[in-house]
Amino acid sequence: MVGFLTTIFNWVQGFLGLPATSLADALPWWDILWAFVYFVGAIILLIINVIMLIWIERRAAGFFQERVGPNRVGPFGLLQTINDTIKLLGKEWIMPAAADKLVYLIAPLLIVTVSVTMYGLLPYGPGITPVTLNVGILFFLAISSVNTLSVLMAGWGSNNKYSLLGGMRTVAQIISYEIPMALSIIGIVMITGSLDLGTIASAQSHVWNVFVQPVAFVIFVISALAELTKSPFDMTEAEQEFVAGYHTEYSGIRFTLFFMGEYANLFSMSALGVVLFFGGANGPFLPPWVWFIGKTYVFILFMLWIRWTFLRIRVDKMMKFNWKILIPISLANLLLTGVGIKIWQAATGAIRW
Amino acid sequence: MGDFITEADGLETQEFILNLGPQHPSTHGVYRARLIMDGEIVVSAENKIGYLHRGIEKIAEGITYAQFTPYTTRFDYVSGAMQPWAWCLALEKLGNTVVPERAEYLRVIVGELQRIASHLVMLGSMVLDFSAITPWTYVFNAREEILDLLEAVSGSRLLVNYFVNGGVNADIPEGWAAKTEAALDGMLKRLDDFERMVSGNEIFLGRTKGIAPVSAAEAIEYGITGASLRASGVDFDMRRDSPYSVYDRFSFAVPVIKGGDSFDRYQLRVLEIRESVKIVRQALKTLPDGEVRAKVAKVWRPAPGEAYAATEAARGIMGYQVVSDGSTKPYRVHMRSPSFCNIGIIPAKAPGLTLQDFISFIASLDFVLGDIDR
Amino acid sequence: MYGLGLLKGLGVSMKRFWMPKITEKYPEVQPKLPERSKGSFQYNKDSCTSCELCSMACPNGVIKVEWHKDESGKKRLDRYRMNLGHCLFCGLCVEACPTTPKSIDFKRDFALGCWRKEDIYRVWTKEWPAAESAPDPAAPASPSAPAQGGN
Repeated sequence: MVGFLTTIFNWVQGFLGLPATSLADALPWWDILWAFVYFVGAIILLIINVIMLIWIERRAAGFFQERVGPNRVGPFGLLQTINDTIKLLGKEWIMPAAADKLVYLIAPLLIVTVSVTMYGLLPYGPGITPVTLNVGILFFLAISSVNTLSVLMAGWGSNNKYSLLGGMRTVAQIISYEIPMALSIIGIVMITGSLDLGTIASAQSHVWNVFVQPVAFVIFVISALAELTKSPFDMTEAEQEFVAGYHTEYSGIRFTLFFMGEYANLFSMSALGVVLFFGGANGPFLPPWVWFIGKTYVFILFMLWIRWTFLRIRVDKMMKFNWKILIPISLANLLLTGVGIKIWQAATGAIRW
Repeated sequence: MGDFITEADGLETQEFILNLGPQHPSTHGVYRARLIMDGEIVVSAENKIGYLHRGIEKIAEGITYAQFTPYTTRFDYVSGAMQPWAWCLALEKLGNTVVPERAEYLRVIVGELQRIASHLVMLGSMVLDFSAITPWTYVFNAREEILDLLEAVSGSRLLVNYFVNGGVNADIPEGWAAKTEAALDGMLKRLDDFERMVSGNEIFLGRTKGIAPVSAAEAIEYGITGASLRASGVDFDMRRDSPYSVYDRFSFAVPVIKGGDSFDRYQLRVLEIRESVKIVRQALKTLPDGEVRAKVAKVWRPAPGEAYAATEAARGIMGYQVVSDGSTKPYRVHMRSPSFCNIGIIPAKAPGLTLQDFISFIASLDFVLGDIDR
Repeated sequence: MYGLGLLKGLGVSMKRFWMPKITEKYPEVQPKLPERSKGSFQYNKDSCTSCELCSMACPNGVIKVEWHKDESGKKRLDRYRMNLGHCLFCGLCVEACPTTPKSIDFKRDFALGCWRKEDIYRVWTKEWPAAESAPDPAAPASPSAPAQGGN
C-alpha cells in the first residue's frame, strides 16, 4: 500500500517536473497522515468484522441446531446485523438514577478503545502492519487486561446487585485465565526469540507452531475462550442465573458498544492465535492479508463450534481447573520447552540469539 | 465445598435473601424459591407457590363430569394427554363402566407416547438451564415427531382431549400405526445424538454428579413418586406393581438406579423413554378390533359415593378423588398431584448447594407448576 | 481418556451441521396439518336446528344461540355467537351436535390472531356476512364422523 502511494507521488513529481525527493521528506505531516489512515482503517475493519461475525455466529448457531439462521433480511440474511444496529440505535438511553455517572458512561467507550488498539498491532502482512513494536506480544497482553477495568466499571457503575456480582465474577475469571495464556505464549517466544508479532509469524515458514507446541495450543484455546467469556466459560452473562451480568443496565448505543467490543475481541484473540500458532499471513498464491483473514475466520469458526456444543462450567470448578490443572500443565510445558531448546542448541551447536 | 475460601478472622459477612423467581428463566413455571444465601452458598430454601392457582378443583363443582374432562388436561400441561386417565378411571369406578379392550390399548399407546414427550421436555430443559442450547433443539425436534402423532389422532398437540369417560374420543386414523413406528425411529435417532452429546460430557457430569443425593429412605419419607423415586433406588412403579388398564399384558423393564443424585434422575428418564417405546410397539402389534367408547348416558348421574383412582403419570403418581352426590355435577374433586409432593424435598436438600447446583437440582426433579398450584 | 465425551459431543454437532434443516418458510409455505387439526370453527346454518345442545355441552359457555319460534312453531335461527376468547378447543360442542352434516365443526385455520377485541367473537346471522363466516373450502367434506373400529 505504501508502494502504491509512493508510485503515484513519484509520477506526479515527474509530471510536474519537481526535484526528486522521498515522500517522507517532502510532506512533514506524512507520519500523521499514515497514522490517521491506519486509525480509520482499523475502525472500518472493526465494524466490518463485527457485522460479518454476528451474521456468521447466528447462521452457524442455526446450522448446528438444525435450523437456518437469519434468512429474511437481504440475501441469506446478510443485512440482519444492520437491521439490528439501526434498531438498537433507536432505543432509549436508560440510565439508573443512582448510578455512578462518570464510571457508568466511560465503561463502554473503554472497551471499544481497547479493541481498536489491539487491531493496530496485528500483522496483516509484510508491509501492512499498522504498528510494529518490538514488544508486540507484551503490549497485546497488557492492553487486553484493560478489558477487565471496563467490565468492573460497568458492574460498579450500574448500581445493581446482580451487575456488581456479574462484573466481579467476570474480572476474577479473566485475570485468572490470563496466566495460563501468558505462560503458553512464553513457550512460543522462547522458540522464536522475539516478542514482535511479525517476527513470530514469519518464523513459522517451515513448520507451524501448532505442531511444535501442541500442548500450548490447547492451553491457549481454553484460555482464549475464558478471556472472551464464551461458553463453556460464560457464566458471567448467564441469562439463566444473572439476567445479563455486567451489562444489564445498558441500552441503546451503549449496549451496542459492549456487543461490538465482545466480537472485536473475538477477532483479535483469534488473530493472535493464528499469528502464534498457524503462521500468520504466510501462504502461497494469494496475497498475505487474504491468508490472514481467512485463517482467522477458520479459527473463529472453531471457537464457535466449541461454544455452541458445550454447557457452562460451575464457577468454582472453573477456578479449580485454572489454578490446579492449567497452570501446572503450562509450567511443565515451559520447562520442557526450555530443556528442548537447550538440547537442540547443544545438538546443532548453533546460537539462536 | 472445601474449595471455597473461608472468611479470614475478623472479616464480617452477612447473609442475604435472594428470590429465585417467580419470573426466572430457569424455574419451570412461576415458581418462587426464597433462598437465604451466604455468598454463593444456599443456607436455607423455602418453596413459595401459588402463583398459578386457578381454582380448577372448585370449577369442577359447577360443571358436569364430561365438561370437566378438558379441564383435567390443564393441570400438568406438559403431559396433557395422560392427565384425564386417572379422572376417567375414577369416573368408571363410580359408574361401574367397562371400557372396551381396543380403547384400553389406545389409551396405553397415547399415554406412553405422551410420557415420552414429557420426559423429552425434562431432558431438554435440564440442559437448557446449563446453557447447552444445541442439545435442547435436538430434543424438542424429537418431540415434534410425537406431537405430530398426537395431532393426527386428536387434533391438538399439547392439550389433548382424547380420553373420555368410557373409552377414548375417536379411533386412530388410517396409516397412524405406520406413522408411529417411523416417528419413534426418528425420535430415537435424535435421542441417541442427544445422549452422545450430553451423557458422557465431562462438563455435564461435573454439573450433575453428586448434586443433592436423595437416599431411598428419604425419598419414601418425603413422598416422592415417579422417576425421582426410582432414581433413589426404590423399586416401585404402579404400572407393574398395581397395574391399571392393560399394563399387565406388556413386558417392560422398570429401570431403577441406586444413587439419587441429579445425574441419576436424568439418566433414569432416558432409560424410561426407551422402555416406553417398547410398550408402544408391543401395543401397536397386538391392537384388537372393536369399539373405542363404552355407552355412557349423555346426562350422567352416578350413584352417590366416592372413588379414588391413581395412575403412574410422567411426573409421579397422579390420583383423583371424586365424591358424587348423585347429581350431574361432582360434589368434590381432589387431585393428588405428583409435583406438589415432590418439591417437599427441596428445603431439605438445598442447604449447602451453590446457586448453580440449586438450579441443577430443581431441574432434575422435573415439576410443573400447573401440577403444583392446580 | 479425559475429554472423550467432549470430543464425541463436538462430533455430533458437526454431523448435524451438515444435515438438512427443518425450517419451514412460513408464511410462504403453509404447514401440512392433519385432518383432525383443531383450528377455528365453521358453522353450517342450513343444517342447524337451534337445539342448543352445543351450548349446553360447552364447559365455558362459549356458544350463544338466539332463535325465535315462527308461525308454524319451528325454531328459526337469529344469531349464533361464539366467544373464542374463552374457548378451550375441546370439541365437546362438535361431539354434541346431532345433525348430519355437523352444524358446528372445526376447520384447520390456526391463524386466529386479530387486531380488535370484537373480532374474537365469531358471529353468524341469517344474512350470512360474506367475508368472515363462510365455510372453509379447504376443510374435509365429512368431518369427524364418530369412527367405529377398523384400522
